[in-house]
Amino acid sequence: MSGNVLQEYLEGKIDFAGQKLVDDIVRIWLIAATAISFVAGFALQSLLVTFSILGLSTVALLVVVIPPWPMFNRHPVKWLPVAETKKSK
Amino acid sequence: MHSIFTRVNNISAFLSSCTMALLACIALSSFLFTADPKGNLSISPVRVFPSKTNRYPRRKQEMGFVNFNISADLTPLFHWNTKQLFLYLEAEYQNTQGVNNTVVVWDRIVRRKEDAVINFAGKNKYAFREISSSFKKVPSSHYSLKYNVMPYVGVLTYGEAARTAEAVDFVWEEHV
Repeated sequence: MSGNVLQEYLEGKIDFAGQKLVDDIVRIWLIAATAISFVAGFALQSLLVTFSILGLSTVALLVVVIPPWPMFNRHPVKWLPVAETKKSK
Repeated sequence: MHSIFTRVNNISAFLSSCTMALLACIALSSFLFTADPKGNLSISPVRVFPSKTNRYPRRKQEMGFVNFNISADLTPLFHWNTKQLFLYLEAEYQNTQGVNNTVVVWDRIVRRKEDAVINFAGKNKYAFREISSSFKKVPSSHYSLKYNVMPYVGVLTYGEAARTAEAVDFVWEEHV
């Protein structure tokens, strides 16, 4: 039983709505971070600025998106009740 | 995106695409910097001495000694995508066979913007020899200071910072 709990903890499942949300966050965040890092680096004439912005924002993104936060699990799948059949009786 | 592993996989895949796009933009941005700094180069007449060859005991070879002055401000070449500059002084002459030769006689690597103001007086670092072992029949040569901008990402670009206005004569010396 404890192995099951550990496995679930490591798997970090989120629901379908949460998956859509994660997908959108990742796409918008990474594209924005790339654009901002280029503009900031160009303005300050420093590649160090560019790649530190990209790296730090990626670390922040991982913190936001990787763990199965409760906000990604607000729409659990509702299964239909088990149909009563003669055989199951 | 349902499990931690697929999320890590997806993010790293998209991050690599973004990084490639960023690197391409950085490489392309260096074409926006079109600085073409010019400097001064003066060369005193090149003295030629007879010398022994390294490889053949009885053969004589002529060595040219180039004394030169360089003053150039190459700081405009340093932008965010410049890693270092390779500066080199090139001798150009036509030999007896009518072949155009170029010989690098001096070079310097400039790694920092603070070091890019060049004020240098000195002589050639590398042996200046003719492959036919003599500079006779080579009346004179031209000299140019060239640079090669090495970027962090992108293509190498070449340029010329200075050039001698008139050809520099060879002067033959019999005694050292």
